[in-house]
Amino acid sequence: MMTTPAASPSEASPPEGAACALGQTGGARMKVGFIGLGVMGRPMAQHLQRAGHELFVWARRPASAAGLPATICATPAELGRCCEVIFTVITSSADVEAVALGPDGLSEGMAPGSVLVDCSTIAPDAARRIAGALGKKGIHMLDAPVSGGAQGAIDATLAIMAGGDAAVLERVRPLLDCLGRRIVHIGPNGAGQVAKACNQMIMVAAIEAVAEALRLANAAGVDAAKVKQALAGGSAASRVLEVMGQRMVNRDFAAGIEARLHHKDFGLVLEAARQAGVPVPLTAAVGQQLNALMAQGMGRDDTSSLLRVLELE
Amino acid sequence: MKIGFIGLGIMGRPMALNLLKGGHAVTVWARRAESMHPLVDAGATAAASPADAARGNELLISMVADAPDVAEVMRAALPGAAPGLVAVDMSTIAPAAARSIHAELAAAGVDFVDAPVSGGEVGAIAGTLSIMAGGSESAFARAKPAFECMGKNVVHVGDSGAGQVTKAANQIVTGMGVLAVAEAFAFAAKNGVDRSKVREALLGGFAYSKILENHGQRMLDRNFKPGFKSWMHEKDLNIVMQTAHELGLCLPGSAATAQMFNAMVGSGHGEEDSIAVLKLLEKLSGQA
Repeated sequence: MMTTPAASPSEASPPEGAACALGQTGGARMKVGFIGLGVMGRPMAQHLQRAGHELFVWARRPASAAGLPATICATPAELGRCCEVIFTVITSSADVEAVALGPDGLSEGMAPGSVLVDCSTIAPDAARRIAGALGKKGIHMLDAPVSGGAQGAIDATLAIMAGGDAAVLERVRPLLDCLGRRIVHIGPNGAGQVAKACNQMIMVAAIEAVAEALRLANAAGVDAAKVKQALAGGSAASRVLEVMGQRMVNRDFAAGIEARLHHKDFGLVLEAARQAGVPVPLTAAVGQQLNALMAQGMGRDDTSSLLRVLELE
Repeated sequence: MKIGFIGLGIMGRPMALNLLKGGHAVTVWARRAESMHPLVDAGATAAASPADAARGNELLISMVADAPDVAEVMRAALPGAAPGLVAVDMSTIAPAAARSIHAELAAAGVDFVDAPVSGGEVGAIAGTLSIMAGGSESAFARAKPAFECMGKNVVHVGDSGAGQVTKAANQIVTGMGVLAVAEAFAFAAKNGVDRSKVREALLGGFAYSKILENHGQRMLDRNFKPGFKSWMHEKDLNIVMQTAHELGLCLPGSAATAQMFNAMVGSGHGEEDSIAVLKLLEKLSGQA
């Protein structure tokens, strides 16, 4: 039922300077599980394995686990039985809920005291609900969504915002150190997802602002590349202007992070704002631009495609 | 006709009374038994359960708060449903939810019509509601005599879900309409102009609307009693915005309006009429 593909030498060796390699930290080698081997999850799983931890994976499509030096489990429950700490990086609240609590789910296998670290972006109330259900079985959960995109995952420079018990976070911090640079304990379960919602609000609104500014520059007959270059030295400088602005100038709309994921996140943000009775007029307006982007078939392109939504001719 | 009726709130009670007045035999069920008393006094039979309300009847009508309630009472009613029963939900719920309830009931041999209403408590009492229906031609025909006791403007819009789509469209127009009138009044006042004169002048032109006439007058009177509560309009606009999100539909005006109603609920105006959005505008512009 389990298979262990041979590890290729290049993947088995830790990268130079890995801040979390066991030899350097004196930490314990752990049995670490991983579910969700997409553009974010795969490099994250590799970092954990390269740091010296024993990696176990479950994948809905077995092909996505190909080439990973890991033990492949047949079900999430079986993965749960094998591991002390399990990471999930998957798309929706419903998916996390199914993997954690559904039939053959993690909760059927995980031992009391083991930890689920969910790095997916899901609704804060879903995170609280899942943590509550696992807690009844003595299983710990952290919501630990990340920011930094595919490049941040590859470079192990993600920002990680954690919700849950502080002592549990300290237990898994050596693992999180393999994935990111800035790891902040925000508060109890759900707090990490609230922080991620805030992150998405600021980031996508900034992308829209850059798109509108560059669109205006272009329509006024001004070189958008020069405008971007000038702005990068002043008060409007930002990482979004730098990275997404450059994509817009280059008209390179191939996805970094697919826009449909930001569209999904905006559904979560607006629902959370609704539940809190907090007006978010700008977020709501940006959400409509994302709806238009989806309608025009650009959901699998980069979110810098918000520029194209503004080009009505 | 023999009709079961579930949900006897502000809207449901007068609607069921109008069915009785129309000469129909009405069985009622409500979660709180005391809400059935006025109906029983008027000649209705009290049911012990949703299934009991369905039993022996040709039509089963629900008028409850939200989609999960509709699904719950309809499921609970099924054991009492005779072959050929037509179920009708007159609550305002998401089109997708109405379609899914339609499919679930169809599998059990029960036809389903979504028939939300517009016209508020006043229209429910007077029997002058607008009723917008979605479902099969035959099910609509069966329910029509009951609709005609409760409403004036009864339209079969299309297939299952079409009634709720129409109601959502209605809430887009009324939500933005109320906000438009409130903004026009805030604009006039900030410019030192008498808003009642503005209303009077506008009523003769292209800006005429029932909302300018009725809601506008209530704004001038600062009569914020519901009417139609802000939290319900917020709920309905949330149905609009969620549907738009799922479909990939850009509705910038509705989105901005939904946020104003979101702010109403969050700042403690949820129980007031939706025209209290005027107070929020005044606060934002330092006019309060």
